[in-house]
Parts: sequence; C-alpha cells; structure tokens
Amino acid sequence: MNTEFKPFFLWKHLNKLRWVMLSIVFLMLVYLPFAHVYQTFVASFSYDLLDPSEKELYDLIQMLTSPFVDDPAEGLDAIKGNTWAGNFFGYKISDPLAVLGQIAAGMTVYWPFFLTGLIPIVLTIFFGRFFCGWICPATFLYELNTISSLWLQRFGIKVGNRRFDRRLKYLVLAVGVGVSAITGSVLISMIYPPAIIGREIYFGIALGGFGAGLVFFVLTLLFDLLVARRGFCRYMCPGGALYALLGRFRLFRIKRIVENCNDCAKCNAVCEFGLDPLRDDFGQECNNCTACIAICPTDALTFKVKITDDVNQGPGHLGKAYQRLKP
Amino acid sequence: MQKRDFLKKMIMLASSFGVASIPYVVARILAPGEIYNYSNHLRPPGALVDDKEFVKACIGCGLCGEICPPKCILFDKRSGGNAVNTPYINPETKACILCNKCMEVCPTEALIEVPREEVKMGLAQIDRSACYPWVDRGVCGACVAICPLGKKAIAFEFADMYRPYIKEEGCVGCGMCVEICPHPSLPIRIVEPGKGVITQHTV
Repeated sequence: MNTEFKPFFLWKHLNKLRWVMLSIVFLMLVYLPFAHVYQTFVASFSYDLLDPSEKELYDLIQMLTSPFVDDPAEGLDAIKGNTWAGNFFGYKISDPLAVLGQIAAGMTVYWPFFLTGLIPIVLTIFFGRFFCGWICPATFLYELNTISSLWLQRFGIKVGNRRFDRRLKYLVLAVGVGVSAITGSVLISMIYPPAIIGREIYFGIALGGFGAGLVFFVLTLLFDLLVARRGFCRYMCPGGALYALLGRFRLFRIKRIVENCNDCAKCNAVCEFGLDPLRDDFGQECNNCTACIAICPTDALTFKVKITDDVNQGPGHLGKAYQRLKP
Repeated sequence: MQKRDFLKKMIMLASSFGVASIPYVVARILAPGEIYNYSNHLRPPGALVDDKEFVKACIGCGLCGEICPPKCILFDKRSGGNAVNTPYINPETKACILCNKCMEVCPTEALIEVPREEVKMGLAQIDRSACYPWVDRGVCGACVAICPLGKKAIAFEFADMYRPYIKEEGCVGCGMCVEICPHPSLPIRIVEPGKGVITQHTV
C-alpha cells in the first residue's frame, strides 16, 4: 500500500463518534421529559405527596442535575426541546424544514423564527446532509432497524431491499409545502420522523400516552424492514430532501483514493443511503456518516474540501481489473 | 409515437405525485378532526387571537408544554385534523398560572410575549345558579382568593359577601378559578373573548 495516500487516521474512527453522538441525542430526548416531570414536582413542592415510583424518579433526576443547577425549577430550563425546535442556553435552534413549513403555511416570513434555523442551514451548506447521519434521533432507530433486519435475514426471514427513484423525496417535500400552504398548518411535521420522535417521547413520558405520530413512525419502520432498506430516509423524507438540496454544493465530501482501492465494494454494501462510493458517486444525498470510511479495508476513503465530487476514477489500483488494464 | 411518450410521462408524473402524497394522507387519517368546546380547549397565553392564524404559526414542537411548570399545556395528540400537535389547556383539570415561560420559549409567532394583564385566553363566566354563595349554600370565595390578577379580574359583589363576579376588562381567562372551584358541576367556564357575555341573570 502506498503510504503517500494514507488518510488521516482519525477519519476511520468518526463512525464510532457518530454513534456516540446519535446515542447522546437520543438519551437527551429521553432525559428531557423526565427532567420536566421532575421540574413540575419541584415547582409544586409536592415531594411528600408523590408515589414511591415518582419519588424514585425525583431522587434520580435530583442526583443527576444537582451538581449543575441550584434552582431546578428555573435552571433546568436552559436545555429544552428536541431536534425539531429547541432552546439551548437561551439560543433557539429550529429545523430548517420547520422554517420552510411555517413559511409555507403562514405565507409570510417571521424573521425571528427564520433566524433560529440559520445555524443548521449554514452547517448544512458546509457539511451537506450531516443532520441525517449525525443528529437525527430517527436515524438512531432506523439504523438499529437495519441491524435487526440483518438478524432477521440470518434466521431466514426475507426482508425487502427494493430500490426506487431517489428523486421521489423531493416530490414529497414539494407536496408537503403545497399541502401546508393549502391547509394552513405545518403538516410536514406529521410525517417528519425526527419531529415525530422528539414529540412522541415527550408525550409518552410526560403526558402519558403516545400520539398518532408513533403509529406513523412504526409504519415507516415496517416499510424499511419489508420494502426497502432505509426506505423512508432514502425515498420519502422531506427533511432529507431539503438538507440534500441545501448541501448540494457542500464543502466537505468523502473522496475515494483510487490508488488504495481494491474494488471490494464493501463501501457500497454498507452505505445506508444506497450510494455508490466505489464509482465515486456520492452526490448530494451523502450524509457524511463515514460508515464507508470505517469499513474500508485498504484505507481508500478520506475527506476532501471541494464543492464537487470526482468523476469516476475507474477501477482501484489494487484491484484485479486495474491490473488487467495495466500495460 | 411522441404523443404516446408524452402521455406516458404525464401518467408517470401524476402517479409519482400520488405516491409522494401517500405519507400525508396516512398521517392525516391517523389524526381525525374533532370539534372542541372552547371552555376546555384554551390556547396557551400569548397565543394569536385568531385560531386559524395560530395553527398556521405553530410548528408542533411541544416546547411550550415541555417548559410549563404546572404541566397544564396538553396536545392534540391523536386528533385535531390540521391542528394536530397544537397545544391547548384544559382548565378543568389543570389551569395556566401565567408564568410567561411558554411565550418566552416559543420559537414562532404562535405565542408572543405579552404582559400578564394583556393575555387574552378567554373570559371567565360564573353560572350564578350553581355557585355556592350565589345560591346561599354557604361561604366560599375560592375563585377570588386564587385569581392571579387579584382585584382587577374578580371581586365580591358589594355588600354581598362571598358572591363573586368577573370584571370583564381585567379577566384574562387563565382558568385558575375553574380549576379551584369546589362545585362538581364547574359553574365557572371560560368563554371566547369578545363572543361570550358575562351572565347577568339573577337568582
């Protein structure tokens, strides 16, 4: 192997960092409703009136948060919300899709709300569809779903792996904007998995009882399992479509080092979004999840800073096809 | 032949639009519409007065509910049609304490920060045929004692001790009196501002 083209060693471990990120986001979404329930107990001074199980919860959250906040009723308000719209130490951050949906529904731009979506938009312009791979709480469950489908396959149960046209999700986004404008409500949030997950976890824990969104989410899980692997993200998700469009000319891209590649096609097999790293075809759908970098046995994938993908560089120089081509 | 290709393309486009609208149809079927009684379906304080405008502005993030100290803000989880996932308050179970936190945290214009006196969630209305002091079934005064706006919104009738009446210009419709009222038939209701009238009937 030519050491001259060796990628930076940390890129191989980014996939682990990504799983840590996804787990943290998901755990935060589970923790925040419990923290809110604890806050309501604190605000009502009702410790003596609580059930034993509620007292356990009270003690647990108090143990977790007391090193950081003095007054839980006020101090724990610093971090609130979910990935759809959140409040982070006084800064409000919203999903760009929420901004788009609200603009479509209200037919006007409310600038303070538009500004809350600015940080994700700027990050998306630089990193592409990174939200889908690194933050989205639904991705966490969808990837676990993929893993469970592999287990099902091992036990001989057939799972679906159909392929459709990836452009369908842009149509879903367009229909969503149209539907929001016609009905005058942000209906996109009803079919957008991260928004559903954030809401439903709160409903389930704090308000007691899941909503309709959970049924929809389970349907998408079944769709992924029985029809197409990661099908909802690939072909249906309106948020993914918006991020892909915003990240069309993203700066940070994964690049194949053709000198190190041996055409093993593991990257194609592992890619959750069904892209074609083996032929340098990442495109706007790539979410920089770095799963392909982590699995590459010959360190042939790395990052680069450029707004376009390479054209197909041909067979990898370590592969048999290249050896045959060589004079 | 070209005509046929064009027709084929149009059919493909229409069918793909149909496929693209499937998720919305499914999600909409899961949340059927429902007509609510205004008195147990108040919007949070600071909400846009026109409910249609409110639904347009609300993105259904649930932040207002997540920050509410008494956990009074509920959500249309499984119903509501187009207004699904929008917040509401049912003062009969838990009423708003006017802490202004939900207005501060709302990212959109659905809830706008307004001072406590200018909140307009509704208008309390006392049914004098059920209220204990009004029907001479003893003394009470719970609603007057609990009112967060004090003497500006609710007071006892002059020389009629413990018989409460609502002051239309001061009441913001938070519903604390509804929650606290000991009478099982809930003689206090919140009516829509501008549409309801304070009952003038005497017993």
